Amino acid sequence: MLAYLVRRLILAVLTVWAVSVLSFTVIQLPPGDYITSYIAQMSASGSFVSEQEANALRHQYGLDQPQYIRYIRWMGMVLHGNYGMALEYGRPVGEVIGDRLWLTMVVSVAAIIFTWFVALPIGIYSAVRQYSLGDYVATFVGFIGLAIPSFMLALILMYLGFTFFDLNIGGLFSDELAEAPWSLAKIWDLTKHLPLPALILGFAGTAQLVRIMRANLLDELSKPYVVTGRARGLAESRLILKYPVRVALNPFASTIGYLLPYVVSGSIIVSLVLSLPTVGPLLLKALVAQDMFLAGTIVLMLGTMTVIGTFISDLLLMWIDPRIRFEGRK
Amino acid sequence: MAKQRISRREFLRDASVATSALALASIAPHSVRAGEKIGAQLIGKLEGPELVLDPAKWPKKFGEAPMLAAFVKDGKLPPVDKRVPEEPMVVKPLQSIGKYGGTWRRAFTGPADAENGNRIVSTDKILFWDYTATKVMPCVAKDWKISDDGKVVIIFLRKGMKWSDGHPFTADDFVFWHDDVYLNKDIQPAPHPDFMVNGKSGRLYKRDDYTVVFEFAEANYLFVDILAGSTSIGGGQATQQFGGRTMGAYMPAHYIKQFLPKYGGGKDEMDRKAKAAGFDGWLSYLKNRWDWRLNTELPVLAPWKTVTPINNATWVLERNPYYYGVDTQGNQLPYIDRISMGLAENLEVVNLRAIAGQFDLQERHTALSKLPVFLENRTKGNYDIHLDPSLNGSDATLQINHAYEADPEIAKWLHTRDFRRALSLGIDRDQLNETFWLGVGTPGSVAPAETVPYSPGPEWRKKWSVHDPKQANEFLDKLGLTKKDGEGYRLRTDGKGRIRLELQTVAGSFISHTQICEMIKQQWKQIGIDADVKEVERNLSYARINNNEHHITVWANDGTEVLYLFPRHALPVDPVEALMGYPIARWFASNGQQGMEPKDPQLKKAMEMFRSAPGKKAPERIKIAQEIWKIIVDEQFSIGTVGLSPAVMGVRVASRKLGNIPAREINAQHARTPCSSHPTTFYFKS
Repeated sequence: MLAYLVRRLILAVLTVWAVSVLSFTVIQLPPGDYITSYIAQMSASGSFVSEQEANALRHQYGLDQPQYIRYIRWMGMVLHGNYGMALEYGRPVGEVIGDRLWLTMVVSVAAIIFTWFVALPIGIYSAVRQYSLGDYVATFVGFIGLAIPSFMLALILMYLGFTFFDLNIGGLFSDELAEAPWSLAKIWDLTKHLPLPALILGFAGTAQLVRIMRANLLDELSKPYVVTGRARGLAESRLILKYPVRVALNPFASTIGYLLPYVVSGSIIVSLVLSLPTVGPLLLKALVAQDMFLAGTIVLMLGTMTVIGTFISDLLLMWIDPRIRFEGRK
Repeated sequence: MAKQRISRREFLRDASVATSALALASIAPHSVRAGEKIGAQLIGKLEGPELVLDPAKWPKKFGEAPMLAAFVKDGKLPPVDKRVPEEPMVVKPLQSIGKYGGTWRRAFTGPADAENGNRIVSTDKILFWDYTATKVMPCVAKDWKISDDGKVVIIFLRKGMKWSDGHPFTADDFVFWHDDVYLNKDIQPAPHPDFMVNGKSGRLYKRDDYTVVFEFAEANYLFVDILAGSTSIGGGQATQQFGGRTMGAYMPAHYIKQFLPKYGGGKDEMDRKAKAAGFDGWLSYLKNRWDWRLNTELPVLAPWKTVTPINNATWVLERNPYYYGVDTQGNQLPYIDRISMGLAENLEVVNLRAIAGQFDLQERHTALSKLPVFLENRTKGNYDIHLDPSLNGSDATLQINHAYEADPEIAKWLHTRDFRRALSLGIDRDQLNETFWLGVGTPGSVAPAETVPYSPGPEWRKKWSVHDPKQANEFLDKLGLTKKDGEGYRLRTDGKGRIRLELQTVAGSFISHTQICEMIKQQWKQIGIDADVKEVERNLSYARINNNEHHITVWANDGTEVLYLFPRHALPVDPVEALMGYPIARWFASNGQQGMEPKDPQLKKAMEMFRSAPGKKAPERIKIAQEIWKIIVDEQFSIGTVGLSPAVMGVRVASRKLGNIPAREINAQHARTPCSSHPTTFYFKS
């Protein structure tokens, strides 16, 4: 058991290292560099950069050096806890991400909680009462949720919100509180802004989870152990929740590995449309601007999160499912 | 090959992101009937504030904002007559003397959107233009003089003018920039073309505390325009000293000195300090310290200075208590206390918030395609919409690569005048205008607006730039391109199928060049020319241009209305953005040392005329520009479509609470729109 864990840990470290090389390389694969995108940006916004300025900047940022040297320099900094300077922001990468990191977590956790609280009961209900009116309604809503791209939903809800309810458009804070220090008023403001993004982000996931839960549970419901339990006179609710639901939860546990990076990066496009100050849009902009320090750090962070998440979900699966536990012992 | 698996959802998502710009417009009910011109009545009369240049008419007593009066009372600030220079810039507001106070709310899209603020504070330029953007006006410098031989330009500073921290602003700030920054090879490795004439560097020195001299080895009559334009030398502190830039001609010496190794104790010491502050070296630290968007301590000359840096969720500017401008009654400008720009991660949100009346004045990132929705919500949002047409000829210009070689047959045709004319005559610009510019643009060639002195005249807007497929077909037939395939497309003479031109467009342009090109492709069917519209990411487009791979690239030609100050979209003279042929631009920029000489004698002639212009006095220079435009249009070196339109930064959403807002303002880069309307005179009426 211990040897197994150690092996997993070593593998995890190697994976993270491979992720760092890959992310740094992939980010710099497209033609051009930060300076070309800077020139393009300037040109699109009606300003301009001369060739002399461009070359001086390239030299200053070390972009005229070969890629492996840049990687070694970057890694050297990362190991010292310094992730470099976000080129566009003129601030250390740690700070730029830090600002947004926990807001991202708040939004994503809210979305996940929403998803689970809605999806699990509905999933169980529509499996137990298969082909009932409620099942059809849940299925219908679920498929709509799957079919509508969430950014589209975001745009529509924003427009309706503005037209009929005079709601604030996008963002997580009101204008006057965005820069204010933390206070009860600001937390309340955040709470008021949270439901819309949580709903939109959670909607598609909810539909998916309902379907998965329903399908899994249906598989289990007809199995002999359920019939046995029922024959022995167990109360229906206790029977279902204690045995088949537990088995049906397996897929949830195994997807936790993907949940962690999701908590950090959220859904990029929805965040962009809703103008949420989260990490997702930051990553997108860093990639477009070819800011390899910022983008590299975010991708590295996501990679690390995935590795950790997978590790946790392995542990969780062992805990939930005795069959896996026993195989592990063999 | 591995089969790529894309779920339907992913596909839908990708496909609709591209069109999400249209999503809002289509949700909104259509209140405007088809065929009705909704834009024309929104274009008002060009107007703006004027400068009072006669010292006899200047006010003698000064007023100040209540916000500052409070500081003066507490003894934290000297009284206003000690802060305003003895020779202030006196601005006559457009409608009336304003009221002090208020916060101007706007949107910006992130740290890359620096121009959003730069353009508001551009009265830190050395010289500027009047509100028509044609006449050079004093700005930071109260006056200027150019010697008869054109080799010496002298500027006179305002007596008693001060930096935003109260330190005097003098000629020494220019000398410091020139000697310690511009001539420092670590900071500025090579001299800048804006401060050179015919490849020879200029120099700068002080005559006395208020007199600065720019001197050149050869005549440089253009230099006054360069000082007034949005150029590297004349662009001012805010615009030229951000994001790592080093130009701007002056700097707050008393503050910046401490970050220079020469004054701060050597490079090692400065590197140590830089690392302690989180920077990789002294140069990055220095450039951060002189960046007005990032450093709240930096002394500036601009009317507003940064109090919350641009790398936050809001970028907040606050009035500069030492600003050098006053109104005709002596009230120190600006009227508005604060500018607060809120971060919007995408343009849909900017537009939706503007529609909701959440901005007081926004002309950036507001889209022409949203006009119907903007109009519908005018009363609810309590704002007016003004359209400000630009001065440049064409918002979607087909820039032909005059150095193309990769495919000899295509190269041959692209470099044939009658072929280019045929392409141009094959475009139905009215259809484009109605579809993409809502009919408010003006179809025509690449030539600038007639109000611009360089304009060759109205007939050149139409020359070879009308829809005449019959004549186009005659041209192509005469060139020997008579063989066609079953679908009516003309065939190559080397037997390798159709003549297929590649139209390269760039993702994320102000108006959708890709959709415009798809329509041109349809229109070219009539003249039997096939086109392949290729949308690429911006960086890829630059890489392809620099590798000399593109046939035709489509981009706006904004900035070309001031041909000599921003020529790169009119002639291939600048390698940074050489849409018309990278090797030719290299050749021009290196004085023939590198790159490729243009094969077309007319193109070479136009470029030589362009090179000779800085040494010519204004009347002759203007004539040369007109001749250059005539050549460009007659030869169709690049093909114009629709221009003089408000599509780029010309849809102005202005709250009805604001006063002194012009009905129409000049929309041009050199006028630093909206700065030529002096935003310092805008005010909240109640």
